[in-house]
Amino acid sequence: MPPRRPNRVAIVGVGYSTVGRNTGLSADELTIQAGKAALDDAGMKPGDIDGITTMGGDALRDAWTLGMEPLNWFSTTHAAGPAFSYAALQAIAAIASGFCHTCITFRIIHRQPPSAARLAPRPAAVPRGVGGDYQFLAPFGAGSPTQWAGLLTQRHMAQYGTTEEQFGAHVIAQRDHAALNEDAFFRDPLTMEEYLAARYVSKPLRILDCDYPCDAGSAVIFTTEERAGDFRKKPVFVESYALTAIRDLNFEILDDMTSNSPPHCAAEMWSKTDLRPEDVDCAQLYDGFTIITFQWLEALGFCKPGESGPFIAEGNTRLGGKLPVNTDGGACNVGRRHGANFCIEATRQLRGECGERQVKDAKVSVFSNGVGPFCGAALLTAD
Amino acid sequence: MPQPEAAVSPPMPAPDELTQFFWDALKERKLMIQRCQECGHYIHWPRPLCRFCLSSELAPGEVSGRATLYSWTIATQPFHPYFVDKVPYTLATVELVEEKNLKLVSHLIECPEDEIKVDMPLEVVFQEITPELTLPFFKPATAR
Ligand SMILES: [Zn+2]
Repeated sequence: MPPRRPNRVAIVGVGYSTVGRNTGLSADELTIQAGKAALDDAGMKPGDIDGITTMGGDALRDAWTLGMEPLNWFSTTHAAGPAFSYAALQAIAAIASGFCHTCITFRIIHRQPPSAARLAPRPAAVPRGVGGDYQFLAPFGAGSPTQWAGLLTQRHMAQYGTTEEQFGAHVIAQRDHAALNEDAFFRDPLTMEEYLAARYVSKPLRILDCDYPCDAGSAVIFTTEERAGDFRKKPVFVESYALTAIRDLNFEILDDMTSNSPPHCAAEMWSKTDLRPEDVDCAQLYDGFTIITFQWLEALGFCKPGESGPFIAEGNTRLGGKLPVNTDGGACNVGRRHGANFCIEATRQLRGECGERQVKDAKVSVFSNGVGPFCGAALLTAD
Repeated sequence: MPQPEAAVSPPMPAPDELTQFFWDALKERKLMIQRCQECGHYIHWPRPLCRFCLSSELAPGEVSGRATLYSWTIATQPFHPYFVDKVPYTLATVELVEEKNLKLVSHLIECPEDEIKVDMPLEVVFQEITPELTLPFFKPATAR
């Protein structure tokens, strides 16, 4: 028998719940809203789905609630992994290998409290003690993601001469993209003076370098190439993909803070396609913190290692530039979606649905998620 | 010195059998790192197995306390009540001289911000935080 070729996977539906702080919605309600929005986008019924993956939900409970059964694939991913892409790549792999034919992926973010809430007076603030690896961080006042992001940012600056103004140029470019996205929370233009005046959270990391925490449900529906033409929207195809880990979940003691899991992920992704970085029309690169987008620009080969700062400062990543990046405004402006927004924006760009922020004739896009210990990425195309 | 009534305790480690030695040694002003007795690699943070040779012959090994500064960040926002009046402080990832990539998270002290340089040589300073907790901080190495 000839070896079975992996199925080509397509994206046929995307959707969001109501998003925001204090939406009043439960995690279940975020899941239901996002799931129905993606089904509606695809023009699909729950019975068309035979697979589910989620981070932030419970695969079986969510599938049952939404009337999706019987299932041929289900997976609830845990937190130690690259968020949306972790769940999405399991959906893609399940379809490519033939486990299931149509899989919905969720990233549900609910009640991540602002840090101020964690600081509220707690009379019993004498903890019993911190165990595990965290015992090597907490007593030092370390362990916040903003702090490892500060460490990664500082190392890039020290090693390559990257400047705070170059980080600012990225934040400003993303904000200009957000101005063209009516779903973004932050749409007013930002000046370099305003960026430089923004407070540090963990110097050199500023508050404007951080994604905006909010409640959000995101859903994406993947299916086989054979079925992709049966639904409402023009299919977008998954050309290549990779899921990478180089160590356990410890950002603060990475061997290399400027070049870690993304270069491995990118090499794996590019090895499975004839497309090259110069074929990409727009890139949607994770921006949980600004430095992460910088690392992905280098890892994916859009610029050389260490040159992401000048690459951005020259305007290459703006709409109309050589490689528009984060055309929805990024999670700093549309709010935290843990990577789902980048898959959804790439899909919408390749469908030509992006209105004022549409990249002309976009045929190839890439989305990425994660940094440090682990990450994931996928290259998407429109036929 | 009497502690004010409202004083908040620092986050305390809850060591287990793998990590107890690290905290005990600090109270004796020693920096000990888990070390493989078969291949000699140091392992931090401690694990039940040497990931280089899969030996479980692991024992604490004393290190010199000399290091270089791999990266740093100035913490300006406290994430635990104890640090509310401690910010700003300089968190540092230091690389111990005993082995490449043998890294430790600590504080850089006795170094004004404009004198911080990547890869600068450092030495350990044992700082008693409470009678139960001594932390290994790092300061610029003195000329030797
Ligand atoms: Zn060994």
